[in-house]
Amino acid sequence: MSLLSSAFRHTGRNMLQTWKSQVMTLFTVSLSILIFSFFYLSYFNALHIGQELGDDLRLIVYLDEEPSPPLQEEYRRKIKKFDQVEQIVFVSRQEAFLRFEKQLGDDKDILLDIQQDFLPPSIEVYPIKTLDSLSRIKRFSDYLYTLPGVLKVQYGKDWIERFYSFIQLMRIIVILSGFLLIMTTTFMVAHTIRLTLLSRQRELELLRLVGATDNYIRMPFLFEGAFQGLIGACLGIGALYALYNWIILQFSGSSLFQLFPFSFLPLPIVAVLIVASTLLCSFGSFSSARKTLRL
Amino acid sequence: MEQQEQAPNIIIDLIKVTKLYTPDVHALTDITFSVNKGEMIFLTGRSGAGKTTLLKLISKVETPTKGMVEVDGIDIAKIPRRNLYSLRRKIGMAYQDFKLLPERTVAANIAVSMEVVYRKNSFIIKRTRELLEQLGLQSKINTPAAELSRGEQQRVAIARAVANYPEIILADEPTGNLDAETTGRVMSLFHDLHQQGATLLIATHDMSIYNDQHRVIQLEFGQQNSYQASGSDISTQATNY
Repeated sequence: MSLLSSAFRHTGRNMLQTWKSQVMTLFTVSLSILIFSFFYLSYFNALHIGQELGDDLRLIVYLDEEPSPPLQEEYRRKIKKFDQVEQIVFVSRQEAFLRFEKQLGDDKDILLDIQQDFLPPSIEVYPIKTLDSLSRIKRFSDYLYTLPGVLKVQYGKDWIERFYSFIQLMRIIVILSGFLLIMTTTFMVAHTIRLTLLSRQRELELLRLVGATDNYIRMPFLFEGAFQGLIGACLGIGALYALYNWIILQFSGSSLFQLFPFSFLPLPIVAVLIVASTLLCSFGSFSSARKTLRL
Repeated sequence: MEQQEQAPNIIIDLIKVTKLYTPDVHALTDITFSVNKGEMIFLTGRSGAGKTTLLKLISKVETPTKGMVEVDGIDIAKIPRRNLYSLRRKIGMAYQDFKLLPERTVAANIAVSMEVVYRKNSFIIKRTRELLEQLGLQSKINTPAAELSRGEQQRVAIARAVANYPEIILADEPTGNLDAETTGRVMSLFHDLHQQGATLLIATHDMSIYNDQHRVIQLEFGQQNSYQASGSDISTQATNY
């Protein structure tokens, strides 16, 4: 009989003997995982929405006069110095007029008596469509406004700022629920293991007297914690998947879902959640066993 | 030619061992004796003489207040806690209070000492049956320890102590709750193990289980009262008298 097979056998026996507290711990771990993963799923989808909306995003920098090629190069350099961008397009007075004319379509006649250089030249800056980029958009706009020759900077201020605040709030909720997850999994598991250890003090004392190593005594508790983390995470993610399907079913016809598809967490993230929960619970049980057994 | 003194094959060595329990209970005072490999020694004395304390010191369940205890040439005070298992695996101890797991079966209680050294299941099953047969407990193999009489519990504790063929067997009042016939069975088991090379230290006040052929160490009020060499001269050590 090896250390591992013996530890597995003891773990099974421990878990059966204390099944009530095991169920309570599993329930707590699952619930914590469900809460965390639900907020993470919302955050994850909000990021996608942000990216979709960000596709149309650009900053329009109006200039007082047509920039010469060296000045254009200078502007380009200054812009890239602040942040990475996807594209920088210089729009001359003439081009701006032509665009405006095209936009007016059949009503372009109203421009007949107007000079073709009445619109200011501009620079169109297309930032990279990442949330970090979006979060810096206001600062980017403020920076561009400080450049010489800039009259005004325009972008979809309102929705971006609101959306960014929403994402920030989501981020805080995800962090808080992550903290809750860590606290509950480690403390709850550590507490259950501690109760098990105290109730089995007599047996553990006997094991020491007959020559059991520290690992022999500690290993079943480590496995117990790992099992609780693993099974708890699987149950939590399973519950989230059921909830996700229910949401999809309930709102399948809504126009919002057609506009922004709501997707489940990708497999690597699910795997990370399960592994993290297993490790956290193992750590909880390990530290509890170490403290209680003074190993 | 001068006869060369042969180094004795000492397995247990106690040198001026004293054990005090707070506030001022002198459990043992200046105990000095050694046990050779393969010896069978009886430790006698009235209740409270310090027999149990002495056995606990040898297995490092207790630590001496003064003096040195060596097992197999190693000062056991220097064995760190994490390596204590190596000492405990050499020693099989049958405790006076049995230390059984009441909710576990007889077989499970005996198996504990073999499981910790990762014996194969087939070995554990065979050895458990063999011991229970020797001790007359075959029918109790699946009975929870809590449902056994004290005499039966005592035999299970003995079976667990010897199951793993330890080098040293320490038995604390192993026949204290047994009738004459069962005492005979237990002593026969001990003699078999002694024949196989085990060293036995048996604490008892049952004079029927030892005779002149055995070495006896008598304790009185925590002090070593007499020392009888195996099968021959009786030399009384004046220890503090």
